Amino acid sequence: MSALGGGGGGEGMDPVGLGIGLVVALLSVVIVYILAPTTAVFALIGVIIGGALIGFGIHFVPVGGAPAAMGQSPGIATGVAMLATGAGLAGLFGGAWAAELGFGVALAGGAIGGGLMMAITCLMVNVVYVYGMGIPAASGKVDKDPITGDTFPAYKSQGTEGHGLPFISYVGGVIGGMFGGLGGTLIYLELLEVYKETLPQILSAGAEDVIPIAVGLAGIFAVGMFLVNAVLSAYNITGTIEGPHDPKFRRFPRAVIACAIASAVCGMVAIMLVAM
Amino acid sequence: MESLLVGIGITAIAGSLAAVAGAAEDTESDIGSQGDPNSQVQLAPQMGYINRIYNKAISGEPPAYALWCAMGAGIAWALMAININAILAIVIGSALAVFVQGIYCTTAYLGRVSSLAKFEQPVYIDIIKSVTTVTMAHAFVAIFTCVAMCHLMIVALGHPFPLPLLGIVWGLALGAAGSATGNPYYGKERQYQKYKFGAGLPISASGDIVRYAEAGQRSSLDNGWFTSKLAGPASGICFGLIVFLELWRTVLFESIAGGWGAVIAGVVLILIFMVIDRYVESWARNTYGPYTSTEEASS
Repeated sequence: MSALGGGGGGEGMDPVGLGIGLVVALLSVVIVYILAPTTAVFALIGVIIGGALIGFGIHFVPVGGAPAAMGQSPGIATGVAMLATGAGLAGLFGGAWAAELGFGVALAGGAIGGGLMMAITCLMVNVVYVYGMGIPAASGKVDKDPITGDTFPAYKSQGTEGHGLPFISYVGGVIGGMFGGLGGTLIYLELLEVYKETLPQILSAGAEDVIPIAVGLAGIFAVGMFLVNAVLSAYNITGTIEGPHDPKFRRFPRAVIACAIASAVCGMVAIMLVAM
Repeated sequence: MESLLVGIGITAIAGSLAAVAGAAEDTESDIGSQGDPNSQVQLAPQMGYINRIYNKAISGEPPAYALWCAMGAGIAWALMAININAILAIVIGSALAVFVQGIYCTTAYLGRVSSLAKFEQPVYIDIIKSVTTVTMAHAFVAIFTCVAMCHLMIVALGHPFPLPLLGIVWGLALGAAGSATGNPYYGKERQYQKYKFGAGLPISASGDIVRYAEAGQRSSLDNGWFTSKLAGPASGICFGLIVFLELWRTVLFESIAGGWGAVIAGVVLILIFMVIDRYVESWARNTYGPYTSTEEASS
């Protein structure tokens, strides 16, 4: 794959590295199957899916990095990993709060929490660009917005690669926040179940007594795993991305596989902490 | 009904605290040059533009604020565990976290600026003395309000996360919202004030930051004065809205349809913000018009 990400997602994946990664992921599942209760294996699979969702979602988030802070490139003026993590953790907050209402509500609550955080942030970015700096939104990667049909070349100021958040980037940001919130909440809920099941035996305490410890542990691991997956995806993106219309978006399969493998290893550690 | 009213009241207070935290966070990052625009302060001496702007950029704003808020929340949590009054515990926790922030500021400034010695950029001791304390004061406001907001979420609204974990979660979101909203205004509008209004900065002009004020050389304190008029309040509105609406939809609608009410309310809010964003985008295109005609741009 070229540095600009021209090729499809499968390109650039080293077969040997991919094979080793998949073996490591499989080994993690087998170790959990042998040493932990059967339900922990399903939890680990949930953690792996959660990690893959985070990796996929981060590719939607429009991040312009340092050049965006000077109106030199489109996107939000901060780092990929940091912005996506901010949205994902806002989603995790909502998902964790709704955990007692059921699995489906908690997952949806997490996804909406992440999406809402991005919807507000992306709107305020455009408000500052438009009303504070007098700069309209213009993409540097496409001539026409795939959703609204707005053309960009005439609205791009001289010597820049575009600026602000075109509507396609806005929608991408919201979708990315939703995937992040969904993935983070899924990891949290799966680990919470494992801890609730195993901690009473380990600590010789009642089921109610271990809940604060279980919530804290699951929350810390969910935050940590979110950061692992966000940083891996940021390396895959290499710098900035405008959203789903950016050619770099097509790199996502590589990040999804990497995040799934990393989540398998991290998930195994999180589960073995209480299973052994 | 009474618990609902209390919930809405707490939501309003938490939203207000978040708004203050967002504004203080952005102003701190602009005075201390913490975010992405600091790339230009670092670049300027390399292009021959010696300056007196504070240069710290310890890390991205989200992880930096995650650390400081988690530290403040952690210390406050420990103090509350030994029955110290909550307000006092949060003040002490925030103050200790701010001392760590001040140490990071000082070492980051000294390290970053001394690395520019070969470009003849001096290390100004008076800048460390005058600006560091101002960034610390703003950071204290941001950390205190954020930790107080987290505490309210636990004791009044019953969120299950322990205080230090909420400190990480909301500290990170605070940094993300503040840097996303406030950075462009400091980066383009203030650092490159001499360039045309209403256009992005040409890439070839990178590093040519404004270095002189009405009298003498520009100080980073002037940057805080400038950005606190728009970028700070905008960041405050951004983070305040995030916290307020996240709590509001949960407190008010969670009891409807087994929790799905809050989800539907969230979807409706996202759609409303999407419509507003599209209006803002169209308004800008129609009001400002294109920079050049389409033929010129494509030729």
